[in-house]
Amino acid sequence: MTDPKYFTTNKKREIFELKAELNNEKKEKRKEAGKKVIAAMTVGKDVSSLFPDVVNCMQTDNLELKKLVYHYLMNYDCEDPDPLIRALTVRTMGCIRVDKITEYLCEPLCKCLKDEDPYVWKTAAVCVAKLHDINAQMVEDQGFLDSLRDFIADSNPMVVANAIVALSEISESHQNSNLLDLNSQNINKLLTALNECTEWGQIFILDYDREAQSICEQVTPRLSHANSEVVLSFLELLPKDSDYYNMLLKKLAPPLVTLLSGEPEVQYITLRNINLIVQIRPETLKQEIKAFFVKCNDPIYVKLEKLDIMIRLASQVLAELKEYATEGDVDFVCKAVRAIGQCAIKVEQSAECCTKVNYVVQEAIVVIRDIFRKYPNKYESIIATLCGNLDSLDEPDARAATIWIVGECAERIDNADELLESFLEGFHDESTQVQLTLLTAIVKLFLKKPSETQELVPLTTRYSDNSDLRDRSYIYRCLLSTDPVTAKEIVLSEKPLISEETDLIEPTLLDELICHIGSLASVYHKPPNAFVEGSHGIHRKHLPIHHGSTDAGDSPVGTTTAMNLEQPQVKPSQGDLLGDLLNLDLSSPVNAPQVSSMQMGAVDLQGGGLESLLVGQSFIPSSVPATFAPSPGPAVVSSGPNDLFEFSTGIGMAPGGYVAPKAVWLPAVKAKGLEISGTFTHLQALQHMTDFAIQFNKNSFGVIPSTPLAIHTPLMPNQSIDVSLPLNTVGPVMKMEPLNNLQGAVKNNLDVFYFSWLIPLNVLFVEDGKMEHQVFLATSKDIPNENELQFQVKECHFNADTVSSKFQNNNVYTIAKRNVEGQDMLYQSLKLTNGIWILAELRIQPGNPNYTLSLKCRAPEVSQYIYQVYNSVLKN
Amino acid sequence: MISQFFILSSKGDPLIYKDFRGDSGGRDVAELFYRKLTGLPGDESPVVMVTTGGRRHHEGRHFIHIRHSGLYLVVTTSENVSPFGLLELLSRLATLLGDYCGSLGEGTISRNVALVYELLDEVLDYGYVQTTSTEMLKNFIQTEAVVSKPFSLFDLSSVGLFGAETQQSKVAPSSAASRPVLSSRSDQSRKNEVFLDVVERLSVLIASNGSLLKVDVQGEIRLKSFLPSGSEMRIGLTEEFCVGKSELRGYGPGIRVDEVSFHSSVNLDEFESHRILRLQPPQGELTVMRYQLSDDLPSPLPFRLFPSVQWDRGSGRSTLEPKPESLNVRLHLPLPRGVVSLSQELSSPEQKAELAEGALCWDLPRVQGGSQLSGLFQMDVPRLPGPPSHGLSTSTPPLGLGPTSLSFELPRHTCSGLQVRFLRLSFRPCGNANPHKWVRHLSHSDAYVIRI
Repeated sequence: MTDPKYFTTNKKREIFELKAELNNEKKEKRKEAGKKVIAAMTVGKDVSSLFPDVVNCMQTDNLELKKLVYHYLMNYDCEDPDPLIRALTVRTMGCIRVDKITEYLCEPLCKCLKDEDPYVWKTAAVCVAKLHDINAQMVEDQGFLDSLRDFIADSNPMVVANAIVALSEISESHQNSNLLDLNSQNINKLLTALNECTEWGQIFILDYDREAQSICEQVTPRLSHANSEVVLSFLELLPKDSDYYNMLLKKLAPPLVTLLSGEPEVQYITLRNINLIVQIRPETLKQEIKAFFVKCNDPIYVKLEKLDIMIRLASQVLAELKEYATEGDVDFVCKAVRAIGQCAIKVEQSAECCTKVNYVVQEAIVVIRDIFRKYPNKYESIIATLCGNLDSLDEPDARAATIWIVGECAERIDNADELLESFLEGFHDESTQVQLTLLTAIVKLFLKKPSETQELVPLTTRYSDNSDLRDRSYIYRCLLSTDPVTAKEIVLSEKPLISEETDLIEPTLLDELICHIGSLASVYHKPPNAFVEGSHGIHRKHLPIHHGSTDAGDSPVGTTTAMNLEQPQVKPSQGDLLGDLLNLDLSSPVNAPQVSSMQMGAVDLQGGGLESLLVGQSFIPSSVPATFAPSPGPAVVSSGPNDLFEFSTGIGMAPGGYVAPKAVWLPAVKAKGLEISGTFTHLQALQHMTDFAIQFNKNSFGVIPSTPLAIHTPLMPNQSIDVSLPLNTVGPVMKMEPLNNLQGAVKNNLDVFYFSWLIPLNVLFVEDGKMEHQVFLATSKDIPNENELQFQVKECHFNADTVSSKFQNNNVYTIAKRNVEGQDMLYQSLKLTNGIWILAELRIQPGNPNYTLSLKCRAPEVSQYIYQVYNSVLKN
Repeated sequence: MISQFFILSSKGDPLIYKDFRGDSGGRDVAELFYRKLTGLPGDESPVVMVTTGGRRHHEGRHFIHIRHSGLYLVVTTSENVSPFGLLELLSRLATLLGDYCGSLGEGTISRNVALVYELLDEVLDYGYVQTTSTEMLKNFIQTEAVVSKPFSLFDLSSVGLFGAETQQSKVAPSSAASRPVLSSRSDQSRKNEVFLDVVERLSVLIASNGSLLKVDVQGEIRLKSFLPSGSEMRIGLTEEFCVGKSELRGYGPGIRVDEVSFHSSVNLDEFESHRILRLQPPQGELTVMRYQLSDDLPSPLPFRLFPSVQWDRGSGRSTLEPKPESLNVRLHLPLPRGVVSLSQELSSPEQKAELAEGALCWDLPRVQGGSQLSGLFQMDVPRLPGPPSHGLSTSTPPLGLGPTSLSFELPRHTCSGLQVRFLRLSFRPCGNANPHKWVRHLSHSDAYVIRI
């Protein structure tokens, strides 16, 4: 047994010696002492009294000593009774980013992960991530990841949140990105934590497994309750490709507007986001336009952004813009005037009002030129005012614009030559832009009023040192001297239209940006991969979900989630991935059999067939999906409908008078061809028939037979034959009334028989009628609202998916499906053989057999027939 | 995640710099930020900036900042994170620093560097936000705030309102409100104070013919409490307070607002019946309620301006008619370019309007309610093209004149009419003094614009 007394004294002496050594001037000595201290510590001796001396040694460039010091510190602090100190130690040590330190960090970290205090745990969890960044292998070997996984189940939400942070941080650089098995059990744990932790922690958790549908559902109430800033952060975390997201986007706009009362910084970011939403859904913000009116104390960048949005919301804001044009800030005024011009171009009726803005700044002239270009010969009244202001212009842009206007409207300005001459005086002092415009204007003037311009034409430009100018003048001279008529054609030719929205974001980019609402991308209006380096970015994680008990099949969100899973990880950049997912959502099972789809009621068909049979005696172009039968009958040429009916029954009974109830007029659409087959039945005719031929009248869709009628053998009495007649749509076009009316004639050795039939429009749907998502949005915005027609389709009992696939078979393609307030909205597109696109929106309310169909088309007269197709397809 | 956080003074000197992830190029980032900020063209937004070029490790670094009390609070990140989140964090940090150091300002920050770093350590770990709650952080923070001068309740010389900048409302001592929440740990007697402010910001746009184009009131009830956490208080609002267009209360027209939102800690059990808010506020500052009202103001506008412009002699006259007593009124009228001289004739000799940066500024430190002021300004603008000839009257203002904007403060007045009826504390200190309660009402202008 050791003598305790001896031991103490011994210990005291030892400590004393160490103390002296630690303060020794020689590095070597100090290092030795440090080793002794650590050794003593390791065997369990209390060397804590040496603390100040050890800390003193920290001031060294000797790595070995430094490490010893750290080791000492960690050992002592990590055993401190105060959890704050234990946590502080791991936190601080984790920040020393030196590889060699890590081995000393390892042991205390181990202890901390098994600590009893949650504050220490949460700090240690982040420390694991720090350590992983320095030395990934060690984290792996020490099993720290398992500790993190255990933390997920902790009752303290902070610990859970930080464990999640650490896991997601690590998974970014880890070869196995699936660090946490997101089974239902784990998800439940996360959800529990989600409800309890701070909003920051919530964001971490949501960020990690935002693909889990159940989490989305949990988040939903938050979107309505929490403040808008948090709402946006949440929104950012939701799956971007879901219908749900789109719905949210709609709901989001108004709360965003309320953010506009905040600090200018928040306002700016909000405006940038609104700018994106406005381009996709202007209607959601139409009511809020006042919110974008500029306040006098807004910073300039906020003002400009507001202006930009207002241009997009256009029409009503014109008067407001007019006021801005009189404000003091030059940048702002210029932009405001330009905005007026853009409005004028966008909204025709407002153009008149715009040109009356009497504040003719230079910018305005540039704008007026644009207006003139868009609406030539409409607002000449302003020319007088314009000409009065010539002298005050000093910007080359404005001068050039004026000259352009003078040249363009030369025939309406009496003193055009004088005006141009006045510019010519200082010709050599003008900028190139003005010189070129002047040259062209003079040539225009010459062509329009040759008599007055003789003296202007011998231009002095050949002495100019600007080659562009010399060349242009040379060309003009040649043109004028050789062939004035051609010159006129060239110079005064029609100018291409200027586009309406000059700075619209390109649709693909816009779509991508919409997916990044609430992130930096939405502020820069650039895709994230343009400014975030490499593989970071919080959207990248795609973790497979084990659906276990969670049934994902029911809700729309769930479906999309499930689809997402097929592709992750393969795609390098997130933008592409999202794009793909979007397509995935929309793409169709390609090449579904077209033919089988037209399931027609046999009975109806027969009726239809008989009808026409009688009309034309021998030719039965019985097309007809069932519902077409009751629709206005064909313009009957030879006999009245009443007779028809009577006969038809009789004939139906007659032996041999059977008409095959087969699908005729099948759209075997090949290239642009169209095959329509008809049934021929020869009934009780007295003679045989030969020499058949068929011809169609001009019709709305240019349908003509592409081959002669192939009936080569004589048709005997009571004989019936089937003939297929391929058609195509390259024939002459004439608009018919009704639109789908097809008139034709069949000739044989007896006579010519005329018939007419209504083409069901579905045979004219081409299979490339699937619009790109973006194009769909853009087109639908582009088509004026008055072209939209609404119909009711009654008594249908299908769900959206069935409807969708039904139409798919008819070349009507579903672009998107949303669920809005319990109603299913199908967005569909189709294209006719003559290139007319029809956009359709079908609203299906559960429990209501009446569907609402809205059709948008540049040629609204087709809508009615499209509706008939919808009706017939849905009734089958 | 956040890479760095720093605070710069208004001149760009770094006051605080903290690197959370060690992935950045060091302190010169702060300098880079300031260079970028000051070199930005006028029409570009400084809120979010990205570095390009330069040294490699600075590439693709995003700066998000807010300006608060003359300081720049900046975070940097290199990922596509939510700017809303970052701005939210920055404004929370500003509140936190205000709570812990007293007011936020260059002086207080540099006096409390250690405290600020300690706070940052707890708020962010490895760039991840841990917590921003004053209450929770109290458990971890050891450092005491250094306050510049000792607080005295009787020091009424300079007064103001926390948040809103008023100088002359002799309501409550300003330094009382701008004192750190936690520095009074040892000092029991000062604990019992609570400040409640109803602050409204008024945005108005009046057309040149006098018709009202837009009125918008943003109001909030703010509370700063020095009471121990968890002490309950009840705030009684005007009983006729109605939310939305349709609600009807009381017999009069009611005090109507369009939208109200409450802080999550507010208990609304008694709100429906008695318009009483119950809450147990933590120490520190807290926005209890926010509301807004647009288009339909119950009270007449505080100021009316009757502008008239005459061309013949090139003079303008405006008459100002404030309703309640108002402070620090400033009329700002942009003038046409090239004004060479200005002569003025104001209703009172001690007033003076000044020409500054192409605009006329007429400052009125204090204006009595119901009074009428007039000013006649004559200016000589040589290069002005003269009155438009055809069809326009001579009262059409010249280009570049106006619109007029007014800035002002209206103490003891709320445009919506909302008042705090009472503030009751259930907290009974063991000691002697009852808690001091300060309830203040204030309206001030946000953008009050009158077109000429």
